[in-house]
Amino acid sequence: MTDAMQFYISTLLIYLFIDIMGVLGLNLQFGVAGIINFAYIVFVGVGAYTAAVVSLGPDYPGNFQHYMFGASWPFPLPILAGGVAAGLLSLVVGVISLRRLRSDYQAMVMLVLSLIATLVASNATGLVNGPAGLATIPQPLYDQLGLNPLEYQWVYAGWCLFLTVLVFLFVRAITRSPLGRTLRAMRDNERAASAVGKNVTLLRLVIFVVGGVIAGISGAVFAEFIQAWSPGSWLYPETFVFLAAVLVGGAANNWGVILGTLLVPVGFLEATRFLPPIFYQGFIEAMQWVCVGLLILLFLWFRPNGIFPEKPGRFKPRATAQSRPAE
Amino acid sequence: MQQLIPAFGFGLITASILAIAAVGFTLQFSVTNILNLAYGDIMTACAFAAYLANHAGVNIWISLVVGALFGAVFSMLLNRLVYFGFVRRGTRLFGMIIVTIAVSLIIQNLLLAIFRPTFFTYEASQGPSYQLGSMVFTASQLAIMGIAVVAMVCVHLLLTQTQLGKAMRATATNPGLARSCGIPTDQVIDAAWLVSGALCGIAGVALVLNTATFSETTGAAFLVPIIASAVLGGIGQPYGAMLGALTIGIAGETAAALMSPAYKDVVAFVILIVVLLVRPQGILSEIAAAKEVAA
Repeated sequence: MTDAMQFYISTLLIYLFIDIMGVLGLNLQFGVAGIINFAYIVFVGVGAYTAAVVSLGPDYPGNFQHYMFGASWPFPLPILAGGVAAGLLSLVVGVISLRRLRSDYQAMVMLVLSLIATLVASNATGLVNGPAGLATIPQPLYDQLGLNPLEYQWVYAGWCLFLTVLVFLFVRAITRSPLGRTLRAMRDNERAASAVGKNVTLLRLVIFVVGGVIAGISGAVFAEFIQAWSPGSWLYPETFVFLAAVLVGGAANNWGVILGTLLVPVGFLEATRFLPPIFYQGFIEAMQWVCVGLLILLFLWFRPNGIFPEKPGRFKPRATAQSRPAE
Repeated sequence: MQQLIPAFGFGLITASILAIAAVGFTLQFSVTNILNLAYGDIMTACAFAAYLANHAGVNIWISLVVGALFGAVFSMLLNRLVYFGFVRRGTRLFGMIIVTIAVSLIIQNLLLAIFRPTFFTYEASQGPSYQLGSMVFTASQLAIMGIAVVAMVCVHLLLTQTQLGKAMRATATNPGLARSCGIPTDQVIDAAWLVSGALCGIAGVALVLNTATFSETTGAAFLVPIIASAVLGGIGQPYGAMLGALTIGIAGETAAALMSPAYKDVVAFVILIVVLLVRPQGILSEIAAAKEVAA
């Protein structure tokens, strides 16, 4: 295999693993707990920015970019910091918006949050260098490992695979645990769940923060790989690529959403990269977004549970005179 | 102070456009229970419809009517062909919001694909300027404010004086009961989408008249203050939306004058957050409370 081909394949694998991490976090929030987080990409963005500023070194006058909290923490602290920062932001956002609001009302607030976050990051230039964003983010352990760029690519792919497996096992542990059952109960019938004594608001907040931490970590790993991060990397429609992956694969089914990630962000968006440019610059990208929208609509219409629907519970509910289908 | 009075003038113009848009948005929600997040993109589509008419040599004010008609028909068809289909299939509320956002992505990017990524302007003169105290308005800005006032009076008369308006309010409060009283709710819902779509179209064209240039994201960028106005006033309440639009419009332009124009929307967002914390059902809350948006 040529070096260029190896470069391409390793990059694609890295994107795939990072996207799977992100989609698993969203699936935990949306698929399992029924929270619609239209601002998911903001938490990815915060993780990425945090990892960037704590590894770029202190800002100095005359630097070509300006940012806050500059530091040069060693690997793997920037990634952890990304997760923690996104988790803290999730906590704040969750406390404000996850109160007992109607689900679509909540989703609308999240969308507004996503639009405003981009606006603030673009205009507050001292925060994370405004619209130009941050560049020259150091790749973790690049100097210490002493590998050539191609070898480093494969090592990084392995590192992403390792993290993805960790996230997958963690998410699966949650979905299989009593907590996971409670979350699904809450998603299917919130009133019934709170009637049997479950603190619905707290449960939602917990899973919102856990999903936010996963988003932050995936963003941190991504920014450290591509070495740059700007408001253009996390515009609000990006959330819907993740959401499409969840809907196509099958909400609340962790293997399903991995398939969804393979198909939507990686397969579909990468495959169209090889199309010859037609009409004009930007036409294919616009049509990609149209297709993402159509994909969401078509799946919601024809196969609302995705390719691999959620597995029914192992314990069949006893049929009683009172049992009614979920709301 | 010297900055604040002109800012108040700008605020009145923004509030006028915002009021038209927010009343349409809130009307869709109250009658059909759908939070239509594609609203901003439909505004853009209407602005493009008016653009095509305008560049075919039609006067800008007739183009505005074209935009309004396009908005009315487009919104009604969107509901009939897409939204209502999902509702009938039993798609839940959170499913519906995903449907509306998918529609928003499709409209915005189809416009981008058709019209290409550049900026567009209408062929219209702003007319002579008029001085009112230390506020300066162009003729077209005064016309926008006039249109807003007329539109609000028309909405008021429609809702209070006509049989259709009363049917709309009945459907908004309790669709099941309305149907059993013999109100043809399907037709009422169609009418509501026609009316709100026309308001959406007028708002879209007025927005572009005021900002001079527009692109495929213009309407979507205006969605934040629209949502903030509607939520502040109590979602589903047309009068609340007017009140909310006035507050958000003036507060936003004042902040723009004092700080930076980029922070207009941030003010809307802060107001939205405060409302959600303190009174999520908004100032005028009957419909929002009846639809259980916040418990």
